[in-house]
Amino acid sequence: MHVLDPRRPSRPRRALALRGLVGASCAVALSGCSGTVSRGFLPEGATTDAQRVINLWNGSWITALVVGALVWGLIFWCVVRYRQRKGDPDLPEQLRYNLPMEILYTIVPLFMIGVLFFYTARDEAVLVDTSKSPDNVVNVVGKRWAWDFNYVTANTYESTRQVETEGAEIGKLPVMYLPVNERTEFVLTARDVIHSFWVPAFLMKMDMIPGRVNKFQVVPDRIGTFTGKCAELCGAYHSEMLFQVEVVSKADYDQRMVDLRAKGQEGQLDNSLNPSPLAPGEAEKVPTPTGSTS
Amino acid sequence: MTTMYREADWAVPARPTLGRTAVKWATSTDHKVIGNLYFITSFLWFMLGGLLALLIRVELFSPGIQVVSDKEQYNQLFTMHGTIMLLLFATPLFAGFGNALMPLQIGAPDVAFPRLNMFAYWLYLFGGLIAASGFLTPQGAAGFGWFAYAPLSSEAYSNNLGADLWIFGLAMGGVGTILGAVNFITTIICMRAPGMTMFRMPLFTWTILITSVLVLMAFPVLASALLVLGADRQLGSHVFDAENGGAILWQHLFWFFGHPEVYIIALPFFGIISEILPVFSRKPLFGYKGLVFATIAIAALSVTVWAHHMYVTGQVLLPFFAFMTMLIAVPTGVKFFNWVGTMWRGQLTFETPMLWAIGFLVTFLFGGLTGIILSSPALDFHVSDSYFVVAHFHYVLFGTVVFAMFAGFFFWWPKFTGRMLDERLGKIQFWMLFFGFHITFLIQHWLGVEGMPRRYADYLAGDGFTLENRISTVGAFILTASTLPFLYNVWKTWRTAPLVTVDDPWGYGASLEWATSCPPPRHNFTTIPRIRSERPAFDLHHPEVAALDSPTADKNVLDQLLGEPDIGREGTGATSGGARGGGSA
Repeated sequence: MHVLDPRRPSRPRRALALRGLVGASCAVALSGCSGTVSRGFLPEGATTDAQRVINLWNGSWITALVVGALVWGLIFWCVVRYRQRKGDPDLPEQLRYNLPMEILYTIVPLFMIGVLFFYTARDEAVLVDTSKSPDNVVNVVGKRWAWDFNYVTANTYESTRQVETEGAEIGKLPVMYLPVNERTEFVLTARDVIHSFWVPAFLMKMDMIPGRVNKFQVVPDRIGTFTGKCAELCGAYHSEMLFQVEVVSKADYDQRMVDLRAKGQEGQLDNSLNPSPLAPGEAEKVPTPTGSTS
Repeated sequence: MTTMYREADWAVPARPTLGRTAVKWATSTDHKVIGNLYFITSFLWFMLGGLLALLIRVELFSPGIQVVSDKEQYNQLFTMHGTIMLLLFATPLFAGFGNALMPLQIGAPDVAFPRLNMFAYWLYLFGGLIAASGFLTPQGAAGFGWFAYAPLSSEAYSNNLGADLWIFGLAMGGVGTILGAVNFITTIICMRAPGMTMFRMPLFTWTILITSVLVLMAFPVLASALLVLGADRQLGSHVFDAENGGAILWQHLFWFFGHPEVYIIALPFFGIISEILPVFSRKPLFGYKGLVFATIAIAALSVTVWAHHMYVTGQVLLPFFAFMTMLIAVPTGVKFFNWVGTMWRGQLTFETPMLWAIGFLVTFLFGGLTGIILSSPALDFHVSDSYFVVAHFHYVLFGTVVFAMFAGFFFWWPKFTGRMLDERLGKIQFWMLFFGFHITFLIQHWLGVEGMPRRYADYLAGDGFTLENRISTVGAFILTASTLPFLYNVWKTWRTAPLVTVDDPWGYGASLEWATSCPPPRHNFTTIPRIRSERPAFDLHHPEVAALDSPTADKNVLDQLLGEPDIGREGTGATSGGARGGGSA
């Protein structure tokens, strides 16, 4: 193999090259184009991990498009250069194979996916990591076709209803509050069928599976209102299962919790309300305001 | 000898009436007739599934509900669109091409189990009719998505008759697919003509063999999962109850079928492309053994990647499934480079089959690239279940199945019917379909990235998705309209095109079907030419080339393993003492 491709860079060098490529292209995009292009058309991130996803997205796309341009270029070249012309001999050379070439284009992609896998494994481990102790825990419960937000740390709750999409406006959807710059853990459960918790601005989603408990953490890093959606088909009114996240200052957040308490929404709409219980061993994963398990 | 049967006979007036033809076809065990039945049935499903898709696109043209009477009906539209396209169109189309061509390509008079073959077709036909007949019931068809996730598919959440019809109809059709695969494997293993070694089989036959093995891996799992789901609904069992972990169990079972299914409906169409490119490049297939091994590698990997459909469930080992998924890019890349290698330094002409084949290459490539993006869980978390995924799998599946189907239709139409389809109409159709497709689906990548979930009957005016949805819908109309020139082409060819009098109207056909008449006689061949390479028909029609065509001299181990197909030593070129032609098997 050394004989075939002596100039193949080692893996660290390739990784460096990828980083360089990403960095260079980001710089180009930032200087020349709008922000939308520089983040690969992804929504503007609202968490500390969003930039991580955007970087991987851009790097992967640039590499993919370079490979694509190469192959499209080869196809186009064949179509233009090797079309039959007058004066061609009866038949072209009847070549059947070329082992060095074939081995080359088997080995090189193997290294390319090695690089992609390295960065993927690194980033994906961070996105689903729940080992850090959260400042704030929210048990979001999916139900047809709305959401129950249990603010575990504050021991309050909000129950929402489905959104009549005709005439609905973004900004007036059912609300989940989050404090800015604090580590929030989402504990995701479902009352009936599978739902999926998606806030596009977090560049992250995770399913809510009846009988199971899922978790992930984010640190929202800017104040604002972001739409949230159910992303797994859950029945007739799936498209009406909308909400919005309001990331607010810690002081505002505490005030919202006080407001909820004043409305009598203290305590939790916990998973004992589900028509069927959690699977054995799952209930212990849902934190409760008192710290014990229910 | 039995009566000679020519399909073209019924096209000529004053020949057997339509009724007689129907009886003849319904009672036939001829693989060519059964192939035609599969083609006609699956194409009718294709048009129905396409109309459902058009309704979906029209509904999404503007925010609000305009076309469907309620959102549940919208769910039924996309559920049945997916079901029809995957299981009632693409999968049986594989059986259609396999039936119509594979016995011809290996020089067999028919398949190994002709009656079983017809039985499998009836299971498919009636299974499909049952699955879709939910539309005729008061509460409509199944509406839980074509992957029928538990517990949405349980009686508690989908208690309409259409759901039961869907479950049991598909289980029945699935049994038909399994029987068809058994038949194909047996035929290929046992019924090859003398001289047709495994490494002389056309690539298309190889893909039929490997696809059939995949069917045996995947479809029994689907059929049994469906029957268990039916038992949960009808007999009161509790296998897929959420409290037993049934929600995830169903996903594992479904995707253990579902991912190989993607390759079941991709590999045979890769095979079609591998047959067409050499003919219109006037060269042998480049990297024949590489393509065979790449096909085997894709099939083997495809049963190890099912959970990449489940990244966002939070219940699977992400690095393992990510790595296995990325690995599939390697053999797929090998295929692409081998196809380019086939065209490289050839003499390309652009008759319609070649046009469709190049359209496939250009389109499928982009689906492959977005597949790499999706293979990374860190990126998939955001775009999973969004329109990005919808766009991706339409590039992959439409790019493969539909482009290669039309490539195959135009290429083999003379072999199926004895007449050539009209080239001009074919080119009009191609460009309409090509632009219609890309206008419809390219924009959907942006929709998904910006946050439009799939399977939404409606979106908000404030979402900012309206313009992109409108572009997509306009594309869908062009795409739909492209079927009209094809239907006219079929009718026009049937009524007016002259009969093909030569065995190989394209002039450079390689595999054995081009060494018999168009269409072939009842048992396919009156004589079988000598088979000394992977392209016996080419050797027959171009003996001056075959005379110079000899095995590579001084093969080393790598050449033996990865080099050319089995080539006999009858060529007059130089041979070395150490070289083994491999033609003695």
